Amino acid sequence: MKHFNKMLLAILVLISSYGLIASCTNKNIPLPASVSTGVIINHGNHIHLSGLTVGDTTQWKFDKAHSSVNWSSPFEGVGAPLTGKFNQFGVAEVTTAKMLSYATTAQPLPDTSWAFYENVPAKTHFSGYVQINQVNTGEPGRDGGCLVSTLGTTAIVTGTQNLSVTNVALIKTTKVEFDPLSNNYIATFNFTWKGNLGVPLTKSIVGKLTYIPSAVFSTHHEFGLSLAFQINCRDYGITSANVADVITIQVNTNFNNQ
Amino acid sequence: MNNDLFSAISRFELMAFFSGYPLIYTLTLVIAGNDLLKEKFIGRTIPLLPLAYALVGTLFLGFQFKKLFPDYSFEHIRLTIKQPGLVAWGLLSILFWIPTFNRKTILSLLHSLVFFVLLATDLFMLLSSQSADNNMVRNDMEVYVNSLLLNVGAFAVLITLCYFFPSFKKK
Repeated sequence: MKHFNKMLLAILVLISSYGLIASCTNKNIPLPASVSTGVIINHGNHIHLSGLTVGDTTQWKFDKAHSSVNWSSPFEGVGAPLTGKFNQFGVAEVTTAKMLSYATTAQPLPDTSWAFYENVPAKTHFSGYVQINQVNTGEPGRDGGCLVSTLGTTAIVTGTQNLSVTNVALIKTTKVEFDPLSNNYIATFNFTWKGNLGVPLTKSIVGKLTYIPSAVFSTHHEFGLSLAFQINCRDYGITSANVADVITIQVNTNFNNQ
Repeated sequence: MNNDLFSAISRFELMAFFSGYPLIYTLTLVIAGNDLLKEKFIGRTIPLLPLAYALVGTLFLGFQFKKLFPDYSFEHIRLTIKQPGLVAWGLLSILFWIPTFNRKTILSLLHSLVFFVLLATDLFMLLSSQSADNNMVRNDMEVYVNSLLLNVGAFAVLITLCYFFPSFKKK
């Protein structure tokens, strides 16, 4: 009986000890995976090409009514942002020959100077313009008054689209590439504006281009492109102390295939 | 065996009460079996082992009552008590208050070995399966340590009672 007790004790102690050792051993516990802070980059294969044929769903039309060009700059360089937008703009290349006043209230030029390749940014390009005197800050006295001279342009003539050299700011891409740090694109483009200078100045600007993939609406598809960039207004002879040197511009464009 | 969470908790509860007893029992017997200690105090505590086990069983019964409070209906018992077979087996330990059962101390060991086997089974699974979870064994061992403490405590309570109330031992 004495031997039985000893043997039983040995077995119990052995099992208990093994359990104790096993429970304290961490060899089977894998290290937790480190938290990934990287952005998941995934470019699809959408290709959007411009066109004007109504009803052709392979052609994408500029949806001016649902697009905007906004700007902002700290008031007097230190305050909360002073903001505004431009009422008239387009996605068309305005060559010297086309720098005219057009007697129309519709888009003066076809908005077809663009193409977008989601996965081949080298083939993506766009050109566009804004009519400077169509600046809209929500203050009629300022928009039709001091801002006209501040921006070096002329007042609005009702019923006309003024694409003259004094009233347009132009952009034209020179290179579009993937943004290595996000799902967006880096767009390098020429920004041309006369401002208060004697002749228009062209500077190369780099901006962030964002693609909002096409989605189905009730009767058609729609996709978006946003371009964010900054210019130094002093380069263009803008001397007003009401705005800072740097003006931030946000272009939001939508396109549909109706 | 039902493997849901409540069954697992019930299993842990049973192990917490009873799995530590076999080691206390054999350790006491081995020490008491030493010729030098046979006639000493430790040798005279062996008959208290089944009573200590019965005390643990009584505490387990109280724990079950606490879990069921305030509804002691059959339906509530049926829904609350998982592993009813093992629970019933655990409650049988109360019988060791009866002299007929506690005279044969080995019976208390055999009774408690059922719960020790639950622990040993988990350890065996860890040994035999490479994918076994260490956390399971760690849980078992924490419960086992608590059970050892509970059973040592119950044994100490009975020894203390016998020391201060010798009539208790005679009964």
